[in-house]
Amino acid sequence: MWQNFVDEIKRIFRDPGVVLIFIVATLIYPLIYKTIYWNEQITDVPVAVVDLSNSSESRAFLHKWNATPDVKLCYQCTSMAEAEQLLRDQKVHGIIYIPRDFASQLADPFGKAHISLYCDMSSFLYMKAIYLSCNQLMLESMRTVQIDRYQQMGIDKEFAWALVQDAPYTETALFTPTGGYGSFLIPAVLVMILHQTLFFGICMLGGTAREENIDRYSFRSLFGRAGAYFVVYYTLAAIVLGFYPRLLDIPHIGSIGDILLFNVPLILSIIFFSLCVSVFIRNRESGLVLLISSSLIFLFMAGISWPKEMIPDPWWYLACCIPYTWGAHGFIHMNSMGASLAITGNEYIALWILTGVYMLIACALFYAKKHYFTRATI
Amino acid sequence: MLRELHMMFARPLYLFASVGVMVLSTLFFLTLMRAGSAENMPVAVVDLDQTTISRRLIHEMQATPSVDIQLVTNCYPEAREAMQKGQIYGIFVIREGFYRDLVAFKRPQLDFYVTNAYTVGGNTAYKQMLTMVNLVSGAFQREVLRKKGMTDEVIMHRIQPIAIEGHMVANPWGNYSVYLVSTVLPGILGLICLMLTIFAIGFELKSRTSHAWLRAAGGNYTVAMIGKLIPYTVMYLILGISCHFMLYNYAGFPVYGSHARLLFGLLLFIFAMEALGITLIGLLPTLRDALSVAALYSMLGFSLSGFTYPQMSMLAPVKAITYLEPLRHYYLIYVNEALMAAPVQNSLPNMLALTAFMLASLCVAPRLHRALVYQNYPLK
Repeated sequence: MWQNFVDEIKRIFRDPGVVLIFIVATLIYPLIYKTIYWNEQITDVPVAVVDLSNSSESRAFLHKWNATPDVKLCYQCTSMAEAEQLLRDQKVHGIIYIPRDFASQLADPFGKAHISLYCDMSSFLYMKAIYLSCNQLMLESMRTVQIDRYQQMGIDKEFAWALVQDAPYTETALFTPTGGYGSFLIPAVLVMILHQTLFFGICMLGGTAREENIDRYSFRSLFGRAGAYFVVYYTLAAIVLGFYPRLLDIPHIGSIGDILLFNVPLILSIIFFSLCVSVFIRNRESGLVLLISSSLIFLFMAGISWPKEMIPDPWWYLACCIPYTWGAHGFIHMNSMGASLAITGNEYIALWILTGVYMLIACALFYAKKHYFTRATI
Repeated sequence: MLRELHMMFARPLYLFASVGVMVLSTLFFLTLMRAGSAENMPVAVVDLDQTTISRRLIHEMQATPSVDIQLVTNCYPEAREAMQKGQIYGIFVIREGFYRDLVAFKRPQLDFYVTNAYTVGGNTAYKQMLTMVNLVSGAFQREVLRKKGMTDEVIMHRIQPIAIEGHMVANPWGNYSVYLVSTVLPGILGLICLMLTIFAIGFELKSRTSHAWLRAAGGNYTVAMIGKLIPYTVMYLILGISCHFMLYNYAGFPVYGSHARLLFGLLLFIFAMEALGITLIGLLPTLRDALSVAALYSMLGFSLSGFTYPQMSMLAPVKAITYLEPLRHYYLIYVNEALMAAPVQNSLPNMLALTAFMLASLCVAPRLHRALVYQNYPLK
């Protein structure tokens, strides 16, 4: 077994393709993703203005909105058609339309003023930026109007305030204060990178060995190889999941010790899962297409970007068989939300169960392969 | 070409990889987001007040269909732990003394907390809790005004003197899957085109069969290349066209502009990805290197195309790189044609860019031809 272990370590470092995938990709990819999502927030979304009211009230509203970091009012249009043209040309990602009667409706104690917003739906984040900031501002302006109206009715100012702000509230975004897209996505991507590079690398090594007709289906080989991958990947995981969040300045409020403990079943389950799949890989390159497209499916199935409550049951059960699902949730809970290992118990135990199950399946597959299919042609 | 057809069917992998992956992905993405938009994210209510009025409030909130209260507790740490376990996305806190302050007109304060560690879940929970707060505040104002003898209609205008009408252009349902699936599926198809093209050419180099291949084409590089790629291209086109009809006819995703131009864009994208494959194997005539580089490069295409995180917010050098991803151009054609119904000149630059990818593949022709003739690259 020791010999198998040493051989496999040598094999990994002698194969430039595997070194590229295992080490270079694992260490460089997180940096690339960090660069792509560098700005985290989307700011100054260009918006076109169609202000038919052209009153001091509407101008004040627009001025205040422009001052928010989310949007930038960069075109004044005289008609909707003109603004729609800008939207079509993707010069703006939203339109605000203020009708002619805006000021008069506000002045009328029984009136209701309208504002129309048109959002470009080609990316969800445009809508979020435009709609939420405008809504917030609207609520604010609404209060001033309400208080004026109550005072007109003869309600004193103090009581009017109490009425308008009858239940004031504070809102707090927990865990990632900036609410940035990168802060949310990168932790999930870090686990994905580890999962897929290891998965891919093991299949590649398995394919190469088969091309070279090396018999590697003894149990000694199984555990020797698993040990070699574990040593290499546990080190990489400590860097990527432990150190990188600090280096890349993404949220990291978890305990390093807990994350290192969590990494043990995470890496082991990925190794045995990959070893099971690698049995079916005929040559080095063939599984690649499958593996690449599986990344996207794993990511969505795990319920990270699309909430897990919304995943249809059959897909969710399938997702539960993939180490990534548990690994990503567990890592996000610990790293981004500061959960202790005790709180992350479900994910931790699930990963151990997957480790055990895939280990048994790998043993069975290796056994079958050795005893029944050794002389099969390649 | 006949030789290639024979090779294609001799290795079921080709067929399985492309058709199987495409069918599976289509099935997956279309069923995954059946609902289209996220609703009813579970939240917790922490009731520190424990009075009849706070309990009535919780009952009212539980009766609201868009709010899913998973946990009612009087202990904040318990709710926080549930959040860390990923069971809830938001916490709504009713402070101690809520009832006392409410009757004394002292404006009792409510607090809510949302998790940012899950973007869609957290945002949805946030919206839900805003609804909950407005429920509280609106109800109270209404009570006071009613006592002053006002009618409900007048009251509504008092409570909400300004209204925003939101219009989600081209996607009035706010359906998440419309733009996501519309980019991800063609993206996966493009990935298959890229990988298989590299594989088909690179395998000849790897197995040292490129001479036989060239001989079959009468020694002509162009004929050899066209002959090799025709069967695949036909397959990709069939997949592409079926994918288009699945999305825009069967699943009913909207296309406000021209179907024909959108489909034309998809075909250009397929050709561009094939051409990119030729370029990569031409530059790196070793199968495994070319495949590894292609894999790493094309995975980034999904992020760089800007359909989730918009390109405008990326750093300038990253922005420049996005233009090197064919998927970015296809996504823009999609936005122009399907969502914006823009005139053809808006998509034209992107169509030209995709054509440029095809032309680029001609530049590597001499190098690739030499590689096929001399087989002067290492096997591994």
